[in-house]
Amino acid sequence: MTIDPDPDGEQAPVADFGDDDELLGGPLPEPTAAAPTGPPIIVMEGAGKRYVKYEDTPTLMGRAVALRTRTKRSQFWALRDVGFEVHAGETLGVIGRNGSGKSTMLRIFAGVTSPTEGRVAVMGRVAPLISVGVGFHPELTGRENVYVNGSVLGLTTREIDELFESIVDFAELADFIDTPVKFYSSGMFVRLGFAVAVAAQPDVLLIDEVLAVGDLRFQAKCYARMQELKEAGATVVLVTHNLQATRNLCERTLVLHDGQQVFLGPTPEAISVYHELLTTAPRGGTPATQKTETLTPVESITTTLLGPDGARTAYVHHDQPVTFRVAVRFRAAVERPVYGLLVSSANGVTVYSESTELKDGIGRVTAPGEVTVDVRVSPQLVTGSYEARGVVHWGSTADERVGSRAVSFYVSGRRLVHGVADLHATFEVEAIGQP
Amino acid sequence: MPFRPTTARADRRYAIDGFELTGTPDTARHLLADVWRARTLLVTLARQDFFVRFRRTSFGVLWAVGLPLIQAVVLAIVFTRVVRIQTGGNYGIYVFAGMLPWTFLSGTVMNGSTSIVDGAGMATKIYFPRAVLPLVVLGSNLYGLLPGIVILLLGSATIGEGLQADVVLLIPAVALMVLFVASLTLLLAGLHVYFRDLRFIVQAGTLVWFYATPVIYPLDLAGGTLRTILLINPATGIVTMFRAAVSNTGTSGLAPAVIAAVVWTVVLATAALVLHSRRDRVFVDLL
Repeated sequence: MTIDPDPDGEQAPVADFGDDDELLGGPLPEPTAAAPTGPPIIVMEGAGKRYVKYEDTPTLMGRAVALRTRTKRSQFWALRDVGFEVHAGETLGVIGRNGSGKSTMLRIFAGVTSPTEGRVAVMGRVAPLISVGVGFHPELTGRENVYVNGSVLGLTTREIDELFESIVDFAELADFIDTPVKFYSSGMFVRLGFAVAVAAQPDVLLIDEVLAVGDLRFQAKCYARMQELKEAGATVVLVTHNLQATRNLCERTLVLHDGQQVFLGPTPEAISVYHELLTTAPRGGTPATQKTETLTPVESITTTLLGPDGARTAYVHHDQPVTFRVAVRFRAAVERPVYGLLVSSANGVTVYSESTELKDGIGRVTAPGEVTVDVRVSPQLVTGSYEARGVVHWGSTADERVGSRAVSFYVSGRRLVHGVADLHATFEVEAIGQP
Repeated sequence: MPFRPTTARADRRYAIDGFELTGTPDTARHLLADVWRARTLLVTLARQDFFVRFRRTSFGVLWAVGLPLIQAVVLAIVFTRVVRIQTGGNYGIYVFAGMLPWTFLSGTVMNGSTSIVDGAGMATKIYFPRAVLPLVVLGSNLYGLLPGIVILLLGSATIGEGLQADVVLLIPAVALMVLFVASLTLLLAGLHVYFRDLRFIVQAGTLVWFYATPVIYPLDLAGGTLRTILLINPATGIVTMFRAAVSNTGTSGLAPAVIAAVVWTVVLATAALVLHSRRDRVFVDLL
């Protein structure tokens, strides 16, 4: 029995919701966090999942040895004390860094694994789009695979008979339905899988990164189908690193960190919390720019982001001024310090950098102490995640110290703007002939 | 949209499935109900598993008939012309009647015992009772057994002793075999998730088991303690019952051997049920 839906591995085209505005052909309002009204569909109560670390999985031999030496197997909680309800018609986003427990949560929602403690209830049929095309056999035709995949999803043969036509129509594969799926393109493959998964009016849609459903037009169609299911009362859980998708689709978002439920509430706040987590626990080890502490007159640089109201935040709107507060602690006097700010995108590209001029007397440090620099910025950036860090130079540029801790934040940019820079273009469209 | 409009949940035409999970293990009854609900999946996968082997072959499903036929012919020649053991009837038919259940048993146990681990790709993505995976192997092999049984019946009607009323014994024989093999395979498949050595233990064990089962020799060849051991062997009861259905000879020890097989089945089925009902939803954590 062959189960791997894709014999060549992770070959499916990974498109995503990123350019949602484009694919939907119009602006999309951020969903408002209305108080959930429908009946609860997913209920988690004090749920936790404990795993035994894989390398410690005992073999027969290992067990025999362990009996004598009494070695304890190391265990860890992939999820702990998670409790919330998701209601009918709601779209819940789940965000968190790698290893925060997102996949475990999806697995539990799909019923694939059972929680170690607590209670999880899912009322209704689940369509895990994480498993699009599961059970597809390359030698079988599309038609046969619809039946296999449908029965994997819990449909009876009669039910699949009834749905068959609409599945093929939706997948737009009428001409290829009797072709073995190994001759399908990966797009066709996923289209068929998606069509089967959503055909049976699922109550719960579980979606992760792979809404890899072919071209933009088909993605729009899938999105429309999802909306249709939602309006009919289906619940959607979206687990992704794509914050744009989360922001555009989810009324509420759950932030997971080290298996703990850190935040559950309106998506913008969730995104802010997520970025604060990125700031407090940066990826990777010590930044490479850090120089030997003793040689530099700068002891530390701390950058914080303050919103228009002066409170700390990590979610900013492009049209609302914010303040980066750079606190520099000097351990020695510096004659001509230069203070700067460096903003980079999530993938490390510097999008903006500016500094004070090299002049005598500006922010001059005569004795050890702390200098606070408020950098007021209008964050006219494209929607996405960014990092900012304070920079201090003294003497020559070689004596540079970049703030080791960057502050992560998310910018909600102008609609329909993509790319690297927001150039604030105006469009003048002139029709030739009759419009 | 080509889809039927879905206006309200109340309109839905399909049964609402749902589940509730707590850390506590499930009951055996619940598991059986789950397996029953997954019967469409079971049959679909078994049929796929069996028939997909013949895809793109020139002779197609004919191979399912051809292979046991060739085996029967070879056995008939070898055991009537080359090796001669007197059992009274046609020894070729006698051996084929034993070979048929044995092939089913060993094939299912060997492939089925690794089936949960082999099915990880599917099992880690979507829930269905994991017991379905070994049962799919069993179901697929049942398809393969059918042509063999037809050949056995034809052979015994023509070159054997002819078909008598005893032939109805095939029904309980197949039933006992299916239940026994299902229980053993389910148990092994569950244990294999935890002890991967089991794959090789089963391979080695099956080799020994073949010679500890009167398949190519009659039970009467053994005496004393050896005969007792052979009678306790659950495969003996199944093999002997198959023989009794098509032959009047060489069926000594039928009753005790069948009783032993039934007892084994009950014990293994209980163990398999307990294991699967307790571990069904957590097997996946180790896949």
